Amino acid sequence: MALLEVDDLVTRFRTDDGIVKAVSGVTFSLDRGKTLGVVGESGSGKSVTFLTVMGLNDPRHTETTGSVRFDGNEILGLSTSQMRGIRGRRIGMIFQDPMTSLNPVKTIGWQLQEAVLLHNDVTKEEARKRAIDILKEVEIPRADTRVDDYPHQFSGGMRQRVMIAMALINNPEVLIADEPTTALDVTTQAQILRLMTKLQKEHEMAIVMITHDLGVVAELADDVLVMYGGRIVEKSEVHDLFEKPEMPYTWGLLGSLPRLNTTAERLEQIPGQPPSLLRPPRGCAFNPRCPYVFDRCREELPDLRAGAVGEGHTFRCHLADEDRARIWDAKKAALEAAEGSAA
Amino acid sequence: MLYFLIRRFFWAIFLFFCATVITYIIFFVIPSDPASIACGTHCTPQQIVHIRHSLHLDLPIYQQYWLFLWNIIRHQSLGYSYVNGVSVRWIIGQDAPVTASLVFGGAVFWLAISIPIGILSALRPRSILDRFGMIFVLIGISAPAVWIGLILAYVIGFKLGWTPIAGYCNLIPGSGVAGSCSGPAQWAYHMILPWLTFMFLFAALYVRLIRATVMETMSEDYVRTARAKGAPGQRVLVQHVLRNSMLPVVTILGMDIGLALGGAVFTETVFQLRGLGSELILSANRDDLPVVVGVVVFACIAVIVFNFIVDVAYAWLDPRIRLD
Amino acid sequence: MRRKHVLSLLMLCMGVALLVAATTVGVASSATQKTNSAKALRGGTLKVDQSAGAFDTLDPGLAYVTNDWEVLYSTGLNLVNFPNKAGKAGTQLFPEAASAFPTISKNGKTVTFHLRSGLKFNDGTPVTAANYQRAWERILSPHMYAQYGTFDQLNKMVVGAQTFTDGKAAHISGISAKGLTLTFHLVKPNPTFTSILGMQWFNAVKTNMPYTKSSGGITKYASAGPYYIASNQLGRTTVLKRNPHFPLGKFPIQANPNQIVISSFPNSDGEAALLQIEKNQLDFDLAGVPSQDVSTVAKKYGGPNKGQFHVGTQACIIWEAFNNAKAPTDNANVRKALNYAIGRTPIIQQLGPYAGSSSDQILVPGLPGYKKFTAYGNFPNFAKAKSVGGAALSNAAPINIYYNAASHFRTNEAEFEQSQIQHIGMKANLVPSDPNDYYGPLETKGTTYNIAHSGWCADYFDPFDFINVNFDGRSIAATGNVDYFYFNNSAFNAQMDKAASLSGAARSNAYAKLDQTLMTKYAPAFPLYIPTFRYLTSQRVKNVIYNNYFGYPILNAMSVG
Repeated sequence: MALLEVDDLVTRFRTDDGIVKAVSGVTFSLDRGKTLGVVGESGSGKSVTFLTVMGLNDPRHTETTGSVRFDGNEILGLSTSQMRGIRGRRIGMIFQDPMTSLNPVKTIGWQLQEAVLLHNDVTKEEARKRAIDILKEVEIPRADTRVDDYPHQFSGGMRQRVMIAMALINNPEVLIADEPTTALDVTTQAQILRLMTKLQKEHEMAIVMITHDLGVVAELADDVLVMYGGRIVEKSEVHDLFEKPEMPYTWGLLGSLPRLNTTAERLEQIPGQPPSLLRPPRGCAFNPRCPYVFDRCREELPDLRAGAVGEGHTFRCHLADEDRARIWDAKKAALEAAEGSAA
Repeated sequence: MLYFLIRRFFWAIFLFFCATVITYIIFFVIPSDPASIACGTHCTPQQIVHIRHSLHLDLPIYQQYWLFLWNIIRHQSLGYSYVNGVSVRWIIGQDAPVTASLVFGGAVFWLAISIPIGILSALRPRSILDRFGMIFVLIGISAPAVWIGLILAYVIGFKLGWTPIAGYCNLIPGSGVAGSCSGPAQWAYHMILPWLTFMFLFAALYVRLIRATVMETMSEDYVRTARAKGAPGQRVLVQHVLRNSMLPVVTILGMDIGLALGGAVFTETVFQLRGLGSELILSANRDDLPVVVGVVVFACIAVIVFNFIVDVAYAWLDPRIRLD
Repeated sequence: MRRKHVLSLLMLCMGVALLVAATTVGVASSATQKTNSAKALRGGTLKVDQSAGAFDTLDPGLAYVTNDWEVLYSTGLNLVNFPNKAGKAGTQLFPEAASAFPTISKNGKTVTFHLRSGLKFNDGTPVTAANYQRAWERILSPHMYAQYGTFDQLNKMVVGAQTFTDGKAAHISGISAKGLTLTFHLVKPNPTFTSILGMQWFNAVKTNMPYTKSSGGITKYASAGPYYIASNQLGRTTVLKRNPHFPLGKFPIQANPNQIVISSFPNSDGEAALLQIEKNQLDFDLAGVPSQDVSTVAKKYGGPNKGQFHVGTQACIIWEAFNNAKAPTDNANVRKALNYAIGRTPIIQQLGPYAGSSSDQILVPGLPGYKKFTAYGNFPNFAKAKSVGGAALSNAAPINIYYNAASHFRTNEAEFEQSQIQHIGMKANLVPSDPNDYYGPLETKGTTYNIAHSGWCADYFDPFDFINVNFDGRSIAATGNVDYFYFNNSAFNAQMDKAASLSGAARSNAYAKLDQTLMTKYAPAFPLYIPTFRYLTSQRVKNVIYNNYFGYPILNAMSVG
């Protein structure tokens, strides 16, 4: 049994303008100790999916259907008190902007202790000790004095380490990381990712890495979900995704990756904007932007189906297999040609 | 910190000079002659001269101002009223506790009302409570203090007889003039209607403010982090939302109190409280310069002190702020 | 004295009738016996409010406003004083500290008083003649904040007073005080001198009461009257307590409350005080019932003088003064036309019910020589006005209506007058006054007003005070004019002199004629009405005695026991 199983999860938000269907039927599972990468543009539903898993949406405005099973138990729709022992204890979550994700008027020691004391019946001194220990683990120098500092006294990268520390202090089984390095510079990003890998090994944690950065996915993930318009449009093991992406959106993503070893002067773009989740397009959500669109795309939503590899690699596209293979081979050749001449 | 204090001190002196000099200038620009007012009708020119001399009004303006400063430095005195010769320092000393009672008591009331309503409105926007809260806000901001005060005095004080209609009792029992009421119970009893009148407008403003700051704080990222840590709603509210959302309230509260100590004229007049506001109006009408300047000085000091307190309090509450 | 704002004039002769009575009758017998009922009236604390103003001083050497004098009447012991009685009896002086009215020398220049023995200040110090000498010094000394005695020419009355006022002598040589004998040496004979000593300036004060330059005077001092000042926060609260050494029962002066607490809140419009009186949280407001509330209050309490609501007539006449020295009111026909054209009753009506009775005479009831007549009527009569005015009305200079814009009553009045004047074909301008100095411009010769609201109250009960004092043009000076009508008619001056020299019935008849002549022939003013003081007392106040001279109920007589 997978640690986390999500089945046909749908999340709707009631807004003043109408119902926004942020997540439209997402199904996946996460095994212990594995890393799941979740990729997509802003508005693809990647963050909302996991906020829903954690139950962090505003219940007054949110409707969810489907199933979320953690360690065999249904957790979708549970209240905060019912989620005790799971949220912050067995599943931890860290967020994108470390500058604003910490309470500015409390010391980080206080905030770490809070994380401990919420879930463990220990003394304040013991909680403080654990705080110092975890700070050391996330490689904060002089942890025993810095534990009494305020968030504004730390740099961005340090703060993200603190966030990670806070999420890990109770030894969770799953760490959901929602774009943890997006707000950091590249060097710091590398450090954080390295840290996360180390901690994953030491704590035997599963990680969900939500990101728009394929490079991060390539480095960390075991499996990948590509999301678009609130749905999973491609699901694959990581090497397969990069080797043989099966649908136009993923091609676009890969094509738009900046590469050093290329003579191409401009990045390839996917033209257009992500779809409105208030009034989504009929049929395939990508049809307004897809260079290979044809009539069926505008009529009918493609189901997730398996490709040449088998059930381990599914995708959503109406294009026939031969067409897709042909298109990808052409693209791949072009990419290699550009790389080759640059080398 | 020391540097901060020194800078503040000199700034205070500068403000004091500005306010008092301007007051003196105004009095000399407007056509007023306290001597002939004090002397009254049928005053012979000789008597006006005599009185003018008694009041030092025959000196040039800068000399009068210098006398005023010298009085403060040498005798810690603010001079004497032109009208009845009473020491201005004594007048301020009598009036300030009245205004302070009104303002601080009123502040307690308005905070006691606005904080719960503001928070609840923020937690349940568009609920019945929120809508009633906003109606209350609208009335509080629109209705003039005079009107509210008169209605309360008439309905509750006169018709129902539940509270006194007007007047002030000293807080300390046995103090004040013989035959006048005193003691904490009488003091509070007489202050109920003035507090209700005074706090109405502020309560309304603060409900709006607190509702806005709480709503804003609740959508902050660190609140989401706290929830992600598994903190229950109550804890999130108290430990994470309140302290942060109260920061702007503290700033504005300090400024409001500092300003109000200059005198809440309408409330004081309706309920016949002899405070700084009504004193100012009375003295200005009678061209009683020393008293006007005395109130200006006091108001100046109050504003300066409270701004200072606010700055220090803010720095204490928000570790990101450094005083310098 | 001028209407209620300021007492500034001489208190002249009480009238020959009184002096005759004084020399023959001797000590006025005390009306109050120390009966059980009198004792039952005593006790309690009387709570008085002042809505419209505050005491600027309670120092007898500096006080000259009616409110101040009202209090000093309760605390002061004078050589001669007014009794605590209503009606006419309340306006007649009796010898208080003096054992009898004074003996006056043949040449009229030496006035001698013998004081009673055994009178004491509230601290036990005996009262002697020197205490009255000190009072004189404090009203004239250059070491005081003001020398108000000079207003009434006291410095010219007593030998050596001018030298003292100029600071060239330490004492007034013309006053000698030996034990209980007080002697005044006057510069020239002055039949009104005794009456002057009834003014509150001449309360007995201790000989060591200092001079002061403070505008508030000495706030707390020993006094010998029925009450003394126990505490005095000027402009706020004054507490009077009963003087244990005052001989109750000996004088027609009562001292009923144990203490009197007077508080002021000068900004008030009187409404809060009214509500408090109705709720018995307050006993009396020195400002009376606000005009707009009189109607409802009168109805609620059963009408005037039937319960808590009282109306007392003041010995005053409210008038519009004409400037007889400026066109077009320098023309008698114009002045008479205005007397017909402007209506008295409409003006009174805006003050609410019981505000006063209209009058077109100068004299008021109570004065010897008062005989009621009607010259111009209460309501406007434009036809009569035009016929009397005749040619003088056409192309007349515009009339300047001078008024206090701070009062809405005065503003209404001015606007009403303007419209009435326009009805008879003349032009009128509204000229607002400086709210802090209404009288200054009036009293200056050459002033440009034509009509100005004013009035006159009795300093003493003789027609001289109303007619000679106001209309003798020979007194006109550059500033400080009492005759701000600037009326100077030599024929009338001669008639006034003649009447002033008469006594008894002849005097009364002469003044009755003068009253009529003045208004029917010259019409130098536009008399409006005889005002009242309308006031409410709380439920527990008994024994309200209204004094016509002060125009107030007597505080020391009010019983809350």
